[in-house]
Amino acid sequence: MATAELRREAPTAAARRERGALPNPDVQSYSDVNRDVLKVLSRPGPGWWILFGLAAGGVGLFFTSWFWQIYKGIGVSGLNAPVGWGVYITTFVFWVGIAHSGTLISAILFLFRAPWRQSIYRAAEAMTVFAVMTAGLFPLIHVGRVWHAYWLIPYPNSRFLWPNFRSPLVWDVFAVTTYFTVSAVFFYLGTIPDLAAARDQARGLRKKFYHFISLGWRGTDREWHHFSKAYIYLAALATPLVLSVHSVVSWDFAMAIVPGWHTTIFAPYFVAGAIFSGVAMVITLAVPMRKFFGLENYLTVKHFEAMAKLCLVTGTIVLYAYLTEYFLAWYSGEPPERGSFWNRAFGHYWWANWTMLTCNGLVPLMLWFKRVRRSISALFVISIFVNIGMWFERFVIIVTSLSHEYEPWAWGLYRPSIVEMGILIGSFAWFGFWFLLFTRLLPPVAIAEMKEVLPPPLRRRRGS
Amino acid sequence: MSDGFGRRDFLKVVGVGGTSAAAAGCSTDTVERLIPYVTPPEEITPGVATWYATTCGECGSGCGVRVRTREGRAVMIEGNPDHPVSKGGLCSRGVSALQGLYNPDRIATPMRAVNGSFEPVSWDEALELLADRLGTGGRSLFLTGPKGPTEGNFLNRFADRLGGRRVVYDALDDSALRRAAKIAFGVDALPRYQIGEADFLVSFGADFLETWLSPVHFAAEFASMHGVRDGHKGRFVFIGSRLSLTGQNADEWIPARPGSEAQVALAVAGELVRRGADAGPYTALVSNTDLESAAEAAGVEAEALSALADRFAAGNGLALGPGLAGHHAGATAANLAVLILNAVAGAVGRTIHLDATPDGEASSYGDMVQAVAEMDAGAYGVAVVSGANPVYSLPPASGFADAFGKVPFKVAFATAPDETTAIADLVLPDAHPLESWGDAMPAPGKYSVRQPVMRPIHLFDSRPMSDVLLETASRLGHDFGAVTFHEYLRAANRSWLAANGEAVGLAGDPNARWRELLRTGSVSYADTSPKVEALQPPETAVGFAAPSFQGDGDLTLVVYPSPRFGDGAHANRPWLLELPDPVSKIMWHSWAELNPTTAERLGLRSGDVVRIASGEGEVEVPAWVYPGVREDVVAVAMGGGHTVYAEFARTFADGGGVNPMTLLPADADAESAALALVSTRVSVTPTGEWRRLVSTEGSHDQDDRNVAPAMALSALGHAADAAAEDEHGHDGQRRELQEGGGFVPVPTEGRAEDFPLPGSDFGEYADDHPRWAMAIDLDKCTGCGVCVTACQAENNVPWVGEREAMNGREMHWLRLERYYETVDASHAGPLDVRLLPMLCQHCNNAPCEPVCPVFAAYHTPDGLNAQAYNRCVGTRYCANNCPYKVRVFNWYGYTSDIPEPMNWQFNPDVTVRDNGVMEKCTFCVQRIRDAGNRAAVEDREVRDGEVYTACQSVCPADAIVFGNIRDAGSRVAAAVDDERTYRVLDELINTQPAVHYLKKVTFHEVDEGGH
Repeated sequence: MATAELRREAPTAAARRERGALPNPDVQSYSDVNRDVLKVLSRPGPGWWILFGLAAGGVGLFFTSWFWQIYKGIGVSGLNAPVGWGVYITTFVFWVGIAHSGTLISAILFLFRAPWRQSIYRAAEAMTVFAVMTAGLFPLIHVGRVWHAYWLIPYPNSRFLWPNFRSPLVWDVFAVTTYFTVSAVFFYLGTIPDLAAARDQARGLRKKFYHFISLGWRGTDREWHHFSKAYIYLAALATPLVLSVHSVVSWDFAMAIVPGWHTTIFAPYFVAGAIFSGVAMVITLAVPMRKFFGLENYLTVKHFEAMAKLCLVTGTIVLYAYLTEYFLAWYSGEPPERGSFWNRAFGHYWWANWTMLTCNGLVPLMLWFKRVRRSISALFVISIFVNIGMWFERFVIIVTSLSHEYEPWAWGLYRPSIVEMGILIGSFAWFGFWFLLFTRLLPPVAIAEMKEVLPPPLRRRRGS
Repeated sequence: MSDGFGRRDFLKVVGVGGTSAAAAGCSTDTVERLIPYVTPPEEITPGVATWYATTCGECGSGCGVRVRTREGRAVMIEGNPDHPVSKGGLCSRGVSALQGLYNPDRIATPMRAVNGSFEPVSWDEALELLADRLGTGGRSLFLTGPKGPTEGNFLNRFADRLGGRRVVYDALDDSALRRAAKIAFGVDALPRYQIGEADFLVSFGADFLETWLSPVHFAAEFASMHGVRDGHKGRFVFIGSRLSLTGQNADEWIPARPGSEAQVALAVAGELVRRGADAGPYTALVSNTDLESAAEAAGVEAEALSALADRFAAGNGLALGPGLAGHHAGATAANLAVLILNAVAGAVGRTIHLDATPDGEASSYGDMVQAVAEMDAGAYGVAVVSGANPVYSLPPASGFADAFGKVPFKVAFATAPDETTAIADLVLPDAHPLESWGDAMPAPGKYSVRQPVMRPIHLFDSRPMSDVLLETASRLGHDFGAVTFHEYLRAANRSWLAANGEAVGLAGDPNARWRELLRTGSVSYADTSPKVEALQPPETAVGFAAPSFQGDGDLTLVVYPSPRFGDGAHANRPWLLELPDPVSKIMWHSWAELNPTTAERLGLRSGDVVRIASGEGEVEVPAWVYPGVREDVVAVAMGGGHTVYAEFARTFADGGGVNPMTLLPADADAESAALALVSTRVSVTPTGEWRRLVSTEGSHDQDDRNVAPAMALSALGHAADAAAEDEHGHDGQRRELQEGGGFVPVPTEGRAEDFPLPGSDFGEYADDHPRWAMAIDLDKCTGCGVCVTACQAENNVPWVGEREAMNGREMHWLRLERYYETVDASHAGPLDVRLLPMLCQHCNNAPCEPVCPVFAAYHTPDGLNAQAYNRCVGTRYCANNCPYKVRVFNWYGYTSDIPEPMNWQFNPDVTVRDNGVMEKCTFCVQRIRDAGNRAAVEDREVRDGEVYTACQSVCPADAIVFGNIRDAGSRVAAAVDDERTYRVLDELINTQPAVHYLKKVTFHEVDEGGH
């Protein structure tokens, strides 16, 4: 019976390709996949080296700025009273948001059997891990006494001091570290068969490296059996995290009583925003990667269109959340709440707010058009807009709300300092540094999963 | 370990390496020895404070202070509640005396000018030189600020003995008032005002809450007159072209043109005479006036003046002023007119007292002008300056600097180098008032003594001027019966007691009296001075015509003394430089006040740098748009723009402000020779530059939040019934705090499973603890800002400097918010400025506490919202979540920038916070614990009033009450039991603050706003 059903439902190759479940017809065999993907890992060209040099320089800027701040004091930032959180927390939330799409694509879409994820999820997962690695630094950068930041971790100590479990910041520590651990493990697990494939082609030191990190994978049935079980298990574990991490991050704000923060819609609003920004970042990274590494056959227009649709859905949710916030501020009748949103739209930071609304609210509406969704260059441009818009969204929420709270006398303005800008730019470099390493050291497209969808290499019948 | 590297070798290497590492680590050149008190001085117990009662020396008011010393160092100055004049109040300048004492800029050694630069000399050489010049250098001129009666008397005798001349000079001169009192009543004394006894008060521009005569005394009197009591309060009308802080406290503002005080006062007096009052010898003069023409001259509505007359006619009115706002070419006439008005209104003898006996030190710009002319003519061989900085505080047009420069030998006694010491030939480091003996006589029958509270700071080889002059006198062979001024003072005291003791009820052992005086700081006795009540017939023909102003600009320049720096003498103190000006809330730099209409006409906004040009000079200063000045006026405060002074303080600032005296022609009032501060027209032109004002003002509009609500007087008494029934009313609020005590301390071994600790959730309280709470009466608060400075002194709150303050990082634990409700310079009418001292509210349900990830913000069992600095990681989440924005963060290690010996002032009972931690008001927890410990040792409860906070200890208006609100008999519980009580934002966000405010009461109807 089952066979019959499967047969009935089994789509044709063309239909599967249309759904993004298959690479281009040019890719025919396992060896094609191995060749196309693993060539990326070969000796890098000058373009890569230039980018890598820039990233390394940016990492230098990042740490120089940070150490300067530790040496002089957090005062080298532009933060003040009343704006005690600024670019650092904005960028923290931005990177946590970016980190969402990877797990979404690899875990949730895996569980839902969305076929278009195969070619993109490896890059998305790598992006997730590196984005969390970037995000995780920001709370440390942000605090006044980073040398005591470990006090947020509950550990037995002779003074019997525990963190305050009522504080959303402590939840944040748990949420982000859990998310990082699970995504990193999930990411690593998924790469093992591919690492083995890379090992089989590599020579010399590289071979030793891949040999070591592929944990001796041989591709036996037994190994595949365990692998798939573990993969499903981790996917199931990671799925709720996608929703929980950004919910918890949003509670940093929603649990506070700051007008503009204290709303119940924050968790879904932030999760939608995170996926929105994460998918946009995947597009931003995938477009050049596809071009430079010649992966057009694997990352097809179909894949981009699917991501564009995801962008459209989440972007619409985000736009709805914006409008809801404004409506409720007006509807509440509370002067601080109304004042906060009036200030958001027409106050000193009006430009940030309108940048956000334009980039996140209006520009993605173009994705309603199929032609736009299928145009790689248009998607690339839109994704850049969304990235900018989503950074500004957090800036608007954090900075404008803090600058205009309950006490009119205590209203104030904040202007990021050069050190904060250095750290912001440096954080992109830090992320890019890891991502560039990733493109050279790990197969950027899931080889094993690509092979799964290809017709198995059958031996030709002798004589035919 | 065989034969290679033995144990001994190892120890050698470690020993040598360790020692050299240690030696390399210590790079100080001098060896510091820590020597404990093996035999401690008798009065000093380490860890226990010693208090000295003395007299503040920062201005001539003679307020009584209590100085707290720890281990021989003064750490805090508070008002002396037993003092008859200041009654426990103080001003910011008084508290900041500590920064004058410990100022790193103080002159460290006597110095002599040699070829244009100063060389240190020994005291012996300096004294030799001084004696030589005073003996043989020609006629000598002694130019001093106002001194106490004994020191002034000594200086006069000293000058006489040497055949020299003494001139008393005070930039905040009151000679016009003195002269007017002489003309009107024939007395040689300043009138004494009893504001507290009046029912209706008018100030003709006198800023009696800031700088005029005795501001601390007046603030207390004003609070009792103007603060609501049993449904009544006195009305205060301010007449003047600029709202000073005093003006902002008024119920009505008549924005009269500068120079129109005499017309207005006489016209109102004339109206009263027409209604049957008696003007004595001035009847003809005042009858000749009419309200319309006076209103025309003042540029206000005649109805406002007739309403003023109505109020005076209703009885017990008092007119003050015009103070320095009326120091123009008709200054004496203006003062005289106001005195006549008082006489007509019947205030003389009731709320104004005129003593027939002279009141001592009288400053006179006339004498100064004469001295300048004499110096210019070469009449003096020696000039001695002390307690004054005339090179800075006189207009350059007066020619003082040139004339002074012509004196062959110029001696300056000063604590810190200033513009005058810079051109002296011999500079002698004077002792600070906190290191010297002296006295003050703030009013007849009220004597106040000054005693040193600590040994002179050894870093500065200073000596009190009087001691130096006594030493010089003995070298010159003159005998004053004393070697030190301490002896002189005691002898004067003894002989005064011998002569007058019986008569005033102070008979008995003079030594015991002296000891008692040193203990209490002051003594009051019967005022035997005869009083004058009748107006004298006018001897001189005083013209009451409006003065004309020089110059062809379109705005009149009003120069006024700064509430923070006076004439500029206090501009070297970071606390004052960073104290937001009570009016503009600007710190660190100067500004020019312009009416919004004027600003619009000139195309200016706040922060635009303007060029103000008069016939004498020009200055460039940022504009500050202020609805509290008339359209035809630009106002600039004195005290900025020092060229030599305050080097240390200026390291924290980019600029030093401007000195408006450079714009003034050296005009004087003809009758009293008082320097005219309002004497010139100026042109104001934009320069096109803009600077960010260093201000604490986020918004002067409450934006419907109603954080500083008011109540109309007519509504009083009606709200009470409703509130009693409503559990959300004031009664319910008090119960809420009384029923809760604070979180219960729970014994725990810190195991994770113990958490959350029982009782640590909101709403579970212990009941055997006090609940500390505060009540602030906004109807009494004048907004002077002394609470801010006192808090800073008590709690080791650092200053941050101009650039940091510009970025909103000032560290004050207490700030004064100021909101405009009704401020309109275009016509006379009600005025409503709301003042709100904002500090940590110590909420029951504190939003800062749950968000701290490490429990650095927590609740103590006695209801305090505490902050454990050592535990703070610096996430700043608590500050974000504080709706009152009273938490301040150490963005840098500000305290470590404070150099010796300024850091000697640190209160040893309070942690000095470092980089990266959050801090805030603690309700002076160190004082609470101190009182608690004492009570525990004596096995009793803490008494009500035993704990008082630093802000409370200096408030001249007594607007702050602190105590245990769970003690039904406490003052704070009584204060809170009032229909005016409200808690800021409480009904919106349920924070349940422990700080209760009592609404301001207005005469006009106000929209109380819905919560």
